[in-house]
Amino acid sequence: MTKVVIVDGEGLLRARVVSNTGAEHRRLANRVMEEALQQAGLPFDQVSYVVATGYGRINVPFADRQITELTCHAKGVASLFPAVRTALDIGGQDAKGLKIKNGVLEDFVMNDKCAAGTGRFIEVLAGTLGLKVDELAAVAAKSTQKLRITTTCTVFAQIEIVSRLSEGVPLEDVVAGVYDAIARRTVNMLKQLGVEPDVVFTGGVARNAGMVKAVRDNLCYDVFVPEDPLITGAMGAALLGKELVLKARAKGQPILRKERRLEEATFFSS
Amino acid sequence: MTGNIRVAGEQKQGLARAGQIYHDRDIRMRQLKAEGRKVLGYLDIYPVLEMLTALDLVPFGILGDIKEPISRADACLPTIVCPFLRSALDLGLKGRYDFLDGLVAAHTCEVGEKWAHIWRIYIDLPYIHYIDTPHTTHQSAREHLAVLLSDFQGTLESFTGAKLTPERLRRAIRMHNEQRALVRGLYDLRKPDPPLIAGTEVVQVLVALISLPVEEGNELLRQVIDEVKQRHDGPKKKPARLLLWGSVVDSTDLIAMIEDLEANVVMDDTFVGSRAYFSDVKLTDDPLEGLAEHYLVDIRNPRTFRETALDEANRKDYWADLESRHGYLKDYAREWNVNGVILQTLRYCDIQGYEVPGLKDYLEHIGLPCTYLEWNYSQAALSPLRTRVQAFLEVIG
Ligand code: SF4
Repeated sequence: MTKVVIVDGEGLLRARVVSNTGAEHRRLANRVMEEALQQAGLPFDQVSYVVATGYGRINVPFADRQITELTCHAKGVASLFPAVRTALDIGGQDAKGLKIKNGVLEDFVMNDKCAAGTGRFIEVLAGTLGLKVDELAAVAAKSTQKLRITTTCTVFAQIEIVSRLSEGVPLEDVVAGVYDAIARRTVNMLKQLGVEPDVVFTGGVARNAGMVKAVRDNLCYDVFVPEDPLITGAMGAALLGKELVLKARAKGQPILRKERRLEEATFFSS
Repeated sequence: MTGNIRVAGEQKQGLARAGQIYHDRDIRMRQLKAEGRKVLGYLDIYPVLEMLTALDLVPFGILGDIKEPISRADACLPTIVCPFLRSALDLGLKGRYDFLDGLVAAHTCEVGEKWAHIWRIYIDLPYIHYIDTPHTTHQSAREHLAVLLSDFQGTLESFTGAKLTPERLRRAIRMHNEQRALVRGLYDLRKPDPPLIAGTEVVQVLVALISLPVEEGNELLRQVIDEVKQRHDGPKKKPARLLLWGSVVDSTDLIAMIEDLEANVVMDDTFVGSRAYFSDVKLTDDPLEGLAEHYLVDIRNPRTFRETALDEANRKDYWADLESRHGYLKDYAREWNVNGVILQTLRYCDIQGYEVPGLKDYLEHIGLPCTYLEWNYSQAALSPLRTRVQAFLEVIG
């Protein structure tokens, strides 16, 4: 997913665009930026600063600065939940745990090596069960005894759930087991940092009610989920950009901006 | 023959020469072979190179290649072992090291031991010797290593037909000590801010060193040190000055990724880095004793177990123990003005991995921020690591 957030000088949201990322990162970055500018009703030259984040951060030709998703997430989460100390972000490709103090990233852990414990795990197993991802939560809600999935690997977990289904384990218990497997894995990862409240759960996977429940059950802490958990990283990037600009202005320093790439100009005029 | 490292038609010197050998590691070896010298490959830092040099044998450090996909080695080594060793064996099986007359290996780690025996099975060489280097620093272990080295002396003498006299060995020890001192001199050039030499350049020089006879390596080091002191286009000043600790780093790729960000790698505690060079071999009456002491006690490496250090009241104390194990890193951090540490281990490298929890505690205790990367010895593994390193740099500011 590629997301664009534009904030104004007060930090208020002026545009929010979310789009599927294809293979052509650069072209997409330009297209979603254009859409966001339209939403905000702004020409590009009125945008004071652009921060790119996430895996694609180096593929945003018009960005002034790249900041990692870890720092941006911390900022975004803290802007919504000032008391946050621990944040969990589960996206389609990776899962990260953040330790935040006074609104700033203090430490982090990441699972970026393996699909198990990410949104991908849910997608693959939903496919195996013949369900859509957004149908899972309702199914899991009926579970009375969640299945304990013993393998970590996505591929082996697929084999395991198929064989447990054929043994007669009810579908809802299998689905609840899938949630529990990811929650256990990510919560264990989070424990490396030492979990302290408030805990906030973000990322695409946090939109899934079944997953939120599983994380709560495994953490033994209440878990806050932002209204729009998909854009906390982009939000944080925009807020960091705003801070950089305001800080430079307050000090009377020039705002160091990257030279715009020709490629971007062509896209914007087409 | 000494000191002549010029190749007809290519008069490269200093850093350019180091870069050339880094990219083409066997060039000098093949020339020396053509001149009738014998080349022995060795793995890691425990084979006692002084003994080879003393008998006019050329030591050549066997490395892996992170750019070469591992294929042949998977038939002889499980895939769940150190990827560096798998890669090194793979290159051996593919003929990359076909100029070797022999192999010297030592017990660095469990898989390193198996690796040596598997190499012996699959790659037949006229001379193979394995040194079963002990794993503790006890007196009995030191004495045992001296005995093992005299066995090693025996097989070397019968392979070369020459006698390894104490005089020859002392001369070789002096040459290798000179190399150690020169490498420390090279590392001194990393102390200023910005460092005068980039971390990637240091790796190129150190890889070149283990691809050259010791006297030629010393000459190369002198050239590099002179060149670096005189040039004006060294690395730029960056906010982070990092120490890199851990498993083997035998290519520039990992450091290039780090130095591409807002950081200079100014110190390391790794192989092919500082570990082999930061203490000298003492010239004892029986030179083998000094060598045993050096390789077992002086070299700081998690592969050698040190007895738990006690506090002043003779009680076990976690922090006193950590201080005795890792205190030298605090000295490095101070002398090289380091403000962050990257702990890195290769996947399945238990030897270094076991050290990480205590080392993290220690660094935190002394107020030095660190981050831990476990990686796969492949270029593809580097891009997710980039995010972690960049985030770490953002955290330390
Ligand atoms: S990297 Fe670790 S496992 Fe591999 S050879 Fe070195 S010590 Fe052994």
